[in-house]
Amino acid sequence: MNKQSINAQIRGRVTFILSSFFVLIFISGCSDDFLERKPKGKLTFDTFFETQDHAIWATNAVYQNFRSWQMCAFPWIGITDIISDDSDKGSSPNDALYVLELDDFSFNSTNTAFQQAWEGHYQTIFRANLAIINIPDIDMDATLRERLVGENKFLRAYCYLRLVQWFGDLPLITRPLESDEYYTQTRIPVAEIYNFIEQDLLDAIQVLPEKSDYPPADLGRATKGAARGMLANLYMVKHDFAKGVEYSEAVIQSGEYSLLTRYADNFLPVGEQGAESIFEIGAVAVNAPVAGPGATPYNMIQGVRGVPNLGWGFNRPSDDLISHYESGDPRRQATIIYEGEVLPDGSTIVQHNADVLNARYNQKAWVPAHAGLQDNGPGNIRILRYADILLLAAEAYNEIDNSSKALEYLNIVRARARGTNTFILKDVTDTDKNVLREKIYAERRSELAMEEHRWFDLARWGRIADVMGPLQPGFVATKHTLLPIPQSEIDLSGGAIHQNDEY
Amino acid sequence: MKSKYLHAIIFILLLNPLWSWSQIQVEPPINQPVTGVVLDAKTNEPIIGVTIQEASTDRGTITDIDGRFMLTVQNPDPVLIFRYTGYTAVEIKLDGRTELEVKMSEADFLIDEIVVVGYGIQKKSDLTGAVSTVKGKDISRVATNSVEQALQGKVSGVYVAPSSGAPGAGAVIRIRGTGTLNNANPLFVIDGMITYDPSLVNPQDVESVEVLKDASAAAIYGSRGANGVIIITTKKGIPRDRALISCTAYFGTQQITKKVALLNASEFASAYNDLRGQAYYPDPSALGEGTDWQDEIFRMAPTSNYSIGASGGSDKYSYSFSGNYFSQDGVVKNSHFDRLTLRLNAEYKLTPTIILGHNLAHSNVREDAAPDVVGSAYRMQPVFAARDSTGDFSDPTFFGLAVANPAADLFYKSNHHFTGTRLFGNLYVDVNLFKDFTFRSNLGIDRLSKKSRFFEPKFEVSASQRNLNDRLSVSTGNGTEWIWEQTLTFDHTWNDHHLTVLAGYTAEERKFEELGGSRENFPGTAEELLFLSAGNDTTQMNFQNAGDEALTSNIYRINYSFRNRYLLTLSWRTDRSSRFTKDNRTGNFPSGSIGWNMTEESFIKDIAWLDRLKIRGSFGILGNQAASSTYPSTGAVTSGLYGIFGPDESLNQGATLVSLANANLKWETSRQTDIGIEVAIFGGAIELELDWYNRLTYDIIASVPIPDYVGSQDDPVVNTAKVNNQGWDIAASYRKSGKLSYNLGVILSPVKNEVIKLAEGRNEIFSAFLQGEPATHTVVGLPIGSFYGYKVAGIFQSQEEVDQSPKFGGEKAGDVRYQDTNGDGKLSGDDRVYLGSPIPTLSYSMTAGLEWNGIDFNADVVGASGNKVFNAKETFRFATYNWEKHVVDRWTPENHSLTEPRITNGGNNYRVSDRFLEDGSFIRLRSITLGYSLPQTILSKASIGRLRFYVTGLNVWTKQEYSGYSPEFANGSNSYEVGLDFGGYPIWKSWQGGVEIQF
Repeated sequence: MNKQSINAQIRGRVTFILSSFFVLIFISGCSDDFLERKPKGKLTFDTFFETQDHAIWATNAVYQNFRSWQMCAFPWIGITDIISDDSDKGSSPNDALYVLELDDFSFNSTNTAFQQAWEGHYQTIFRANLAIINIPDIDMDATLRERLVGENKFLRAYCYLRLVQWFGDLPLITRPLESDEYYTQTRIPVAEIYNFIEQDLLDAIQVLPEKSDYPPADLGRATKGAARGMLANLYMVKHDFAKGVEYSEAVIQSGEYSLLTRYADNFLPVGEQGAESIFEIGAVAVNAPVAGPGATPYNMIQGVRGVPNLGWGFNRPSDDLISHYESGDPRRQATIIYEGEVLPDGSTIVQHNADVLNARYNQKAWVPAHAGLQDNGPGNIRILRYADILLLAAEAYNEIDNSSKALEYLNIVRARARGTNTFILKDVTDTDKNVLREKIYAERRSELAMEEHRWFDLARWGRIADVMGPLQPGFVATKHTLLPIPQSEIDLSGGAIHQNDEY
Repeated sequence: MKSKYLHAIIFILLLNPLWSWSQIQVEPPINQPVTGVVLDAKTNEPIIGVTIQEASTDRGTITDIDGRFMLTVQNPDPVLIFRYTGYTAVEIKLDGRTELEVKMSEADFLIDEIVVVGYGIQKKSDLTGAVSTVKGKDISRVATNSVEQALQGKVSGVYVAPSSGAPGAGAVIRIRGTGTLNNANPLFVIDGMITYDPSLVNPQDVESVEVLKDASAAAIYGSRGANGVIIITTKKGIPRDRALISCTAYFGTQQITKKVALLNASEFASAYNDLRGQAYYPDPSALGEGTDWQDEIFRMAPTSNYSIGASGGSDKYSYSFSGNYFSQDGVVKNSHFDRLTLRLNAEYKLTPTIILGHNLAHSNVREDAAPDVVGSAYRMQPVFAARDSTGDFSDPTFFGLAVANPAADLFYKSNHHFTGTRLFGNLYVDVNLFKDFTFRSNLGIDRLSKKSRFFEPKFEVSASQRNLNDRLSVSTGNGTEWIWEQTLTFDHTWNDHHLTVLAGYTAEERKFEELGGSRENFPGTAEELLFLSAGNDTTQMNFQNAGDEALTSNIYRINYSFRNRYLLTLSWRTDRSSRFTKDNRTGNFPSGSIGWNMTEESFIKDIAWLDRLKIRGSFGILGNQAASSTYPSTGAVTSGLYGIFGPDESLNQGATLVSLANANLKWETSRQTDIGIEVAIFGGAIELELDWYNRLTYDIIASVPIPDYVGSQDDPVVNTAKVNNQGWDIAASYRKSGKLSYNLGVILSPVKNEVIKLAEGRNEIFSAFLQGEPATHTVVGLPIGSFYGYKVAGIFQSQEEVDQSPKFGGEKAGDVRYQDTNGDGKLSGDDRVYLGSPIPTLSYSMTAGLEWNGIDFNADVVGASGNKVFNAKETFRFATYNWEKHVVDRWTPENHSLTEPRITNGGNNYRVSDRFLEDGSFIRLRSITLGYSLPQTILSKASIGRLRFYVTGLNVWTKQEYSGYSPEFANGSNSYEVGLDFGGYPIWKSWQGGVEIQF
């Protein structure tokens, strides 16, 4: 081997090693860029809450969660209707035993319905908090910005109003928590929760338009009337009857609402966002083989089980509810689907189902044939009707000893229910406060049965024990008037969150 | 780094002055031709395919069909080395001879087997880590499409179960237990290309499979080594005068291993009468057997496989080509899988110091998916026929709710196809830089393109089994993955010292994209109309998904040995992953191991019967990046959260952050210790390999449960949990060679899995809710996914007994009496207890082989024990489904059964309890083969190298306690629910006959 070629060899190899080395340095230098990857087709939090669209989207996402399983399916009907005297679990005996536990008060704090309801509402609050904190900093139309914040405050207040009636003292979450705050929250007394709800709703009333002031395309967003009605509801819960009168009267006097001629129309597609509707959660079925983007499980879980197969048959109107109605009250037929009954759209007859004991179904959750399969429930979830406000007003007037106004509003509701049949549902004329109170309470049950109001009404009236005790041997008066805080919250907080008595 | 930079880099590499140092100057060769013949020392028959190499040169050849060879030697004093698999290598100094007759003996014991390890090869005697090797012939012996499935029972410490019985299915593999709550699948390295999906490898192409089990072996794969690494090496060409051509074919039929015992029509009618308390069926016995729905959906299904291969080469190149077509019909009607794989592995010696090579495989896959009818056949009432008297599919809505008629589902929902093509492999260049230095640049690619099509016509069988609008759904997906690795190896021996140093840098990127859509209302169902454009455009829907990730790494390894006696290996990998934020992106994974070849010591060397005695120990740290999602640290805004407003109820876009992200997420890490001993005695007739290991995985990525009031939809994922696996890998074998050769092997793999820690504040994770009650809980101190529920105390024999006992309420005589385990006098969720583990504490296998006069026999037995199976499918009773056979012994007022409750349709008797828990132990004859190879003397006249006929049985015999199809089933990748049998596609048994021929 001659010297020259050895030198050439070494030169070549050194060149190679050096260039390889540079290549590596080059890659290492780009390494950070090379390793920076973002989710595809998705905004990230760094780039969100920057435009007017983002503000609208973030608000719409709060409405959306009211259609979630946690907020409108088993947990919702379970601890409003099924737990109350209005309905039984329904479906086949074995299906969803945890819902049966709600019906017969054999539940404990690990029952998943409580956890899911709690989780669903706090997730909605999380979304509303994000919007309320971040929207004010967005450069956008100022009126719209205020309105959107108002919508979020309304929705947040409504979530807290449900939670506080179910569970009592609550962790009060008003902004996204930092990681060191996850486990340190405690239960804030009911009175402070009420104050928070009140302030949110007062803020909302200030900035929200009336229903008629929204452009048609925005029909279904929170309105001034909805916020006033919800506030009236809060004052009734607080037994502040004067304020209850003030805010229910404000809704009535606004002239924005009226009763539909036919009671049953409220629950049919024709009644959606109708004259009687103060607030409801919009839903729509799109043609999809699975749950579509606008649908709810609300109609499916309560739909007729068997033939025609419309759903799972949960939330069976109880014997107690049936016997409650005054004789001839057409609202009973409008509330309950019986076997052998023709469906409201005349499509078919409900067949006997051997797998369900004495099947009956919630007609208010019934929807006609629609796009997609069962889980594409298109029925709007009715939250607040004008009739509800009239009855709240009647209740409040009676409590402040104005029986004539109470009777006036009570009888408006009865008159509509009666329709043209003058033989039924005669006008109430009692002026004795206690007698009239019972009549208003009874009317409220007949009018609003199976609309998920009953448990809250019993709670507000302090009557859960009086009513449920005799019906359910498992009911314990000192225990069951408040529902248990989900056990997981107690466990995870290491005791910072304490349990309600006797659970 | 943008991809244009990447192109630039490749370009730079290609332009590198590789060529300038390729002209190595050598003294002129003598070029003396040598000829000869190689014979078997025992039989005196010629041996075909012996590799002959001239020592310290790259010259070599291979013996032909008559065992003859010709080689031109170049050194003045040449030495020839003769090598043949299974034979002891022979070195012959020519001493001027030009004509040789060489005799080779079958080796009983190959002390210096070469073992493939990460980024290199090593002699077995030099290994300090726990690496198990499975030879290609032991893989191809199990007639399956899947290399993963073929590994079952072949390696100690490796648990393999078929992932499903569906045609084309792979396997679930757990190396040394389940080490994480997340993805516990091992990493596959196929000829240097990294993947988690080895499905395209044709088992007949496999040269060897190495399983890297301990930290020392796997740490070089750093953040992906924690679940173990499986290296698959495919066959390479060997230089020889003429190509070696081989063909194999087999045909077989498959059927399910057993049927689940269910009620027949008359038994069902009688049970139904009892349930209703009235004679709904006036005369149950008149109904006879009724329909056996399992017969309606299962079938004898054919399978076939054809392979051809050609390999060869010269001193300048070598190649191995293979083509394989595998076709399998499923045991469930209408399911089918076929795969065409072409492979070309080749190496080209560009100059004496530069080798260019590639291993490339291309596959076309087609799969026809049957609808999921296994569950509905299990539930469907036997009183119905598949079709009614008018020939329509029966509408079984008679009981209020209808089970989907499986026969109708098969008819209407089988137009469901997947096709895919995949290009997989690597391209590499090896450069011998100076003496002792080798540089390798390796580019691995994996390009996948797939399509799916599902057409469901309009039909109506019942109210719950119908499709009101015909719908076509199609999607296409593309995935691209590349890895570029640069490694530099230094290898040198000084006297007693041998040192190998490896250093390298790697970069890789993975991308995928999926695009799909659907339409309804097609003008017809003819094949040529099934394209989206033929459908109604107002019904169209579409979607697109995409993702990507990247990783860069540095790797280092040192192997040192002193007098082959004392061995040391140190390795280090640094990984930087795009999955984590900048501050947490880097992970370091070091390992170290030592070994002592005691047989090299003078005081042992003289023990004649002791061939190998080695003790080794290793410790290291590995990661599991697959535990996280691709973008776990980014707060992604969820869209599609529509608000519905306005009279026309339109979808108004909604979007927000629904979950908290954790920017501090980092690698999941595992710390592994291994101590092993290898013994071989009596000339290798008996071999024993024993390893003890402890594998602690910590910083396991788990959703840390935070209180729900925080409002995050998903719990933030954090590094928190700890899981420990401790066990033994035991492999022992005995082999005897001679006119009658035989071997026996036993593998035992006991393992204990234990959760050490979950998350702060939570010591339990509940999962698998059945009827709203959890069926498993993962809890500190127990195995992952332990069964959790009530204990059955007996059957209430009288109302009096009901009244006096703790109960849930509503129980009657004949109902299950649950145990009041906490003794508080009542029954509630608090009485649920740990019921057993879904993880086998011992898996084992036995192998026996025998060869005599051309007859070969082989049997593999596999088994597992110590685990339970929860028969979850039996607890679903949303309607009056059929019952399992044991219900015929039910409690009735006349028959006071002590074990079988009265007939009910769900409810109290169907709570999650040990009533549905069964022994998961089994022992299975995994494969049994009998073959015959025609004698060489006959074949060589016909110029045939080898001709063998065989029959093979797979899974033909099983002993199991479990009432379901098989205790081996897979349940997705959810470690919490592995023991729940929801009734998936059952595994099958088959008989196959085949032929192998070599020219």
